Amino acid sequence: MSGAVQTALAGPAGPARRAVRDPLVAGLVGLCLAAAAGLLVAPPAPYLVNALGQLAAFAILAVSLDLVWGYLGILSLGHGLFFAIGGYVCAMHLLAHGAAVTGVLPDFVQFMGWKSLPAYWAGLDHAPYAFVLALALAGLVAFVFGLASFRSRVNGVYFSIISQALVYVAMLLMYRNDTGLGGNNGMTGFPLLFGWPMGSPGVVTGLAVAALLTLAAILASTRLLVGSAIGRRMLACRDDETRLRTLGYSTTRLKLGIWCLSAMIAALAGILYVPQVGIINPRVLAPDLSIEIAVWVAIGGLGRLGGAVIGAILVNGLKFWLSAAMPEAWPFILSGLVLLVVLVLPNGLLDLVGWRPRPTWLRSSR
Amino acid sequence: MVEPLRALLALCCLALLTIPAWAAPLDRAAFAADLCGDGTAQVRGPEGLVQAGGDLSADDLAFAGRLLNALAERRLSCPADGALLLDRPDAPEGHDALTGAVRPAAEARAPILSLRQRAAIETARGTVALLTGPDPAARAAGLAVVERRIATVPAAVLDRARDAETDAGLKATITGLAQAAALSSPDPARRLAAIAAVAASPSGTAQARLAALKNDPAYASDPAFQAALDAGLAKVSRAVVIGDGLAVVYNGLSFASILFMAAAGLAIIFGLMGVINLAQGEFIMLGAYATYGVQEAFRRLAPGLLDLYLFAAIPVAFGAVALVGIVVEALILRHLYRRPLMSLLATWAVSLFLVNLVRVTIGTQNLQFAMPAYVSGGVPLYADFVVTWNRLFAIAFAAATLGLTLLILRRTPLGLDIRAVTQNRDMAACLGLPTRRIDRLAFGLGSGLAGLAGVALCPIYSVNPGMGSGFIVDSFMVVVLGGVGSLLGTLVAALGVGGANVLIEPVSGAVAAKVIVLVGIILFLQRRPEGLFAVRRRR
Repeated sequence: MSGAVQTALAGPAGPARRAVRDPLVAGLVGLCLAAAAGLLVAPPAPYLVNALGQLAAFAILAVSLDLVWGYLGILSLGHGLFFAIGGYVCAMHLLAHGAAVTGVLPDFVQFMGWKSLPAYWAGLDHAPYAFVLALALAGLVAFVFGLASFRSRVNGVYFSIISQALVYVAMLLMYRNDTGLGGNNGMTGFPLLFGWPMGSPGVVTGLAVAALLTLAAILASTRLLVGSAIGRRMLACRDDETRLRTLGYSTTRLKLGIWCLSAMIAALAGILYVPQVGIINPRVLAPDLSIEIAVWVAIGGLGRLGGAVIGAILVNGLKFWLSAAMPEAWPFILSGLVLLVVLVLPNGLLDLVGWRPRPTWLRSSR
Repeated sequence: MVEPLRALLALCCLALLTIPAWAAPLDRAAFAADLCGDGTAQVRGPEGLVQAGGDLSADDLAFAGRLLNALAERRLSCPADGALLLDRPDAPEGHDALTGAVRPAAEARAPILSLRQRAAIETARGTVALLTGPDPAARAAGLAVVERRIATVPAAVLDRARDAETDAGLKATITGLAQAAALSSPDPARRLAAIAAVAASPSGTAQARLAALKNDPAYASDPAFQAALDAGLAKVSRAVVIGDGLAVVYNGLSFASILFMAAAGLAIIFGLMGVINLAQGEFIMLGAYATYGVQEAFRRLAPGLLDLYLFAAIPVAFGAVALVGIVVEALILRHLYRRPLMSLLATWAVSLFLVNLVRVTIGTQNLQFAMPAYVSGGVPLYADFVVTWNRLFAIAFAAATLGLTLLILRRTPLGLDIRAVTQNRDMAACLGLPTRRIDRLAFGLGSGLAGLAGVALCPIYSVNPGMGSGFIVDSFMVVVLGGVGSLLGTLVAALGVGGANVLIEPVSGAVAAKVIVLVGIILFLQRRPEGLFAVRRRR
């Protein structure tokens, strides 16, 4: 393993160099751009547009998890928390914006018998503030939790379990009705987006195009990140953290930085997701949903950004189709798929097509 | 010689005072005449009956009840002498109330009732029903009537009703009513005695009842009353605080035992193989379903022994779930020992599969369990603290499991092997231990413990396919806090988490309790990342 870390830090050589120019990611970015252009030129039926937009949001979420799991070896079973932070802040913005324009208070506020929105909703009707708040909040929560965990060298399965407890507790918290965030019913009935009526074809297409473009941008930039010196440090940290630390690198700072970045990307996915489905409720914080994100990544191909995107789209596409066509069978298919991938295809479905862009030093114990 | 004589005299007087009250029978003719008399007499009769109610014979009460019922139902007819009982209103003839002879009702008049007389008659009817009602429902109805005019009912009536009552719930109600009546009685001596009586059996309701008396005018004016009340209230409050404290400890203990049962298997598996089994909650669910299967088998084959099904389920649930665990290990997990994070996903897939399998084959409804006597009800121990049998069952079960597991780990060859592999897998393998086989057996043991937890949960929780996810996060926290591979650490952590949850819950709610406990665990791991009792081992 010692050679692995030195090679990692020095940068790939020989066959590995090709990996930096990742045709899979390039192809996916191109596909996203083409799809966005296609939607603008000749939009298909709105529900298809909407489904495509949701898939793009899920793909962003999968990329965010792959960044920490595949490249840093940190499996978060609580990424739903950051997704939900983005989603909730976005929903708050949509409701506050609607209330400011129409003067009608959201349903749950009336249900609680309040005369106005709670004080901490102030200013959320301004989109830029809400956007910054969502990302900052996700980053802050990730920072505090990450600092506490990485500083005391909590990692591996321990970290996964504690992150799962975190999302579970957040779910319990959001189920309460007195938080001013909709309680168990969540928030729905968003009237307007930037002044346009929600659900009109233009808005649906716009949202889907925005999600696709964001996915392309996230994919390209994270690809640049993992190909850079920092990316090589990430891989080294994943493969042998002790050795990297002995070589004088601060692995805590590295992990914390990437962890916060990943959380913010997940929040971005939440921001894009909520206006497309038109609802957010505490069920996005269910531990099962957070595990499912890891399942997308594992199925698509761990440690390859393109694999995460493919996994998210494949699993969610199947889910869209099958949970309508045969709802009873879907859990069995999902669990079978997971077991198949975990046992037979340790690198995900990309193993099927013999895709091996990763140099041998990436194969390691995870 | 004078002093004893005086005492004897006093005793005789006392006896003379009490004996006539017992002996006096109801003057039936006068009572009948009162009911047929004018308005004043119609009130005097029933009120006299209520006053004397505690001492009348059952025959007299039944007689009075017949008359009162007839009067209230307009079936009483009043000739010049005596009273007639008709079968229905306006019947041509009826039975004489005193002799039973049939007499024509033509020249008799029907008595007229006003509102005031009606109240007195209703109270008297209630008193009779309370004292002579054939079943608890009739007596409870009588009590409800009496309660409305409790100030006019003497203590002797309630005392007699309480002493004769066979239904435990109704008896408690009557006792409470008698105490409340005595507490507000105009007789100061009786009030003081009532305060002492209430203070003697402390409970939350007793405390509220006494506290309400502080607003009584006598509290300000009568120093003796004030002193007695303050003393009684202090005694009750102290007892209630102690009782509530005991209840918190008891609830914490029972919650901790369930947490321990759920976490023990998890801890063994995690300590040995570094695998967190996300399907552990579903293994618990399978244990509960196995218990249900045993119950149904008893119902079919040996209905007479149904009460014993919980004990019969212990080996069945352990064996069945251990088998499932061994199969899961052999088919899936043994390929994943070098990839612990992947084993998380694999066990999650297993849990998803098991939940949906049970959902599809058996259904999503809650299972109905027969509750044998040893897991239903409880015994009030002190103040408001009730020892409920189902929780005691869980605590005893967890204690027995702990003892047995420790025995296996400390005293058997398998336990020795498990400890050796947990501490240093490579060295154990070098010494010739079949580590893979030990892994499999240990996984079976851990899974079987989850099955046992399922048995213990049956009398307490609702059993359905989704039950496993309810407390799985808590048991993970227990394992992480307790330290890898240490059963004692798991025990201490379970007690700590269970106790903290129960202590914080009344102050800030269940959700806040969970949040506080989780934050506490994360902070604790800052200081001791390996948990409370980390087993020293080489990695």
